[in-house]
Amino acid sequence: MENAKDTFYVTLRNRLAVLNPNRVMMLRGLQRPGILMEEAEVVVPQMPTDAFVLRWTGLDVDGQLPSALAQMTCEMHYTTGGTQPNAGLDRGRALEEMDAELFSILSPSCAQKINYTQTPAVAMATKVFWGIPQFSSASSQRERLTRIAKIAVFAFQEQGEL
Amino acid sequence: MSADLSVRNPNASPLFMADALLRAGGGMAVSLLTTPATVDSSDAGQLGINVPNFQQLPLSPAVFRKVHAAMQEGQLPQYELLVSASAVQKQVSALQVTSADALFDTAAGVEINGAQFLIESRSVSEALGQVYLYRLLLREAHLLFQPSS
Repeated sequence: MENAKDTFYVTLRNRLAVLNPNRVMMLRGLQRPGILMEEAEVVVPQMPTDAFVLRWTGLDVDGQLPSALAQMTCEMHYTTGGTQPNAGLDRGRALEEMDAELFSILSPSCAQKINYTQTPAVAMATKVFWGIPQFSSASSQRERLTRIAKIAVFAFQEQGEL
Repeated sequence: MSADLSVRNPNASPLFMADALLRAGGGMAVSLLTTPATVDSSDAGQLGINVPNFQQLPLSPAVFRKVHAAMQEGQLPQYELLVSASAVQKQVSALQVTSADALFDTAAGVEINGAQFLIESRSVSEALGQVYLYRLLLREAHLLFQPSS
């Protein structure tokens, strides 16, 4: 499952870097595309704004198939307060822009599974694939607008894989 | 009661006093874990595979103690760390960061006697607008110990 999670994150990150090179953030001293996997970063009191935060929640495994099929739920959290020149009055537009970006980077909805624990990373035999995102209604906390999109991610467990 | 309206110029005496009190109170050295000097830009570095190699910035003198609070079920014990502002300022200058706040904002935690703690909150004590003491509220990080190979 870890390889599927890693592949999903890296795929979306690379697609985001191409789609919107201006959506960047500074994290651990490095400028990166504005997307991060929460469980692989330092614990922070508040999620970063204008960046996508991946949080893995649900897990189901179907063992009735020749290869076990794992279904994982990925919650994509994103928050914006709009831009400074517009004094945050464009926060609705900024959130809509992030909605559109997320929808774009999720397509096509599959990627070759890659094992990143080896150097160089090794392509595996199966693919990771996912469904369409389920967008929650936007929640408003003072000047910040937040939305959560849930995505079901599927991957077959290959032999010897965790 | 009347206010003390005498003119007083800021000087370093509060800093010296704080350092002396922290040393007298058992002043110890702790390490602030911050962004490594050489950043890891690899995929493995962003996936939690590579060891982050945080820099360990020594802060001394400091006093570490358990916060005595009414505990409820499921509540984690909290600890307090009092750190000398002169030690923090030394690291701010060495790393050339804009402020102590910027330094703490990038910190991943604090290592004390080999155990890692997360920073829950921080506050400062000031005299005449000059910070002489940082107070960090810490929570023990639940990390799996793995002996070095």
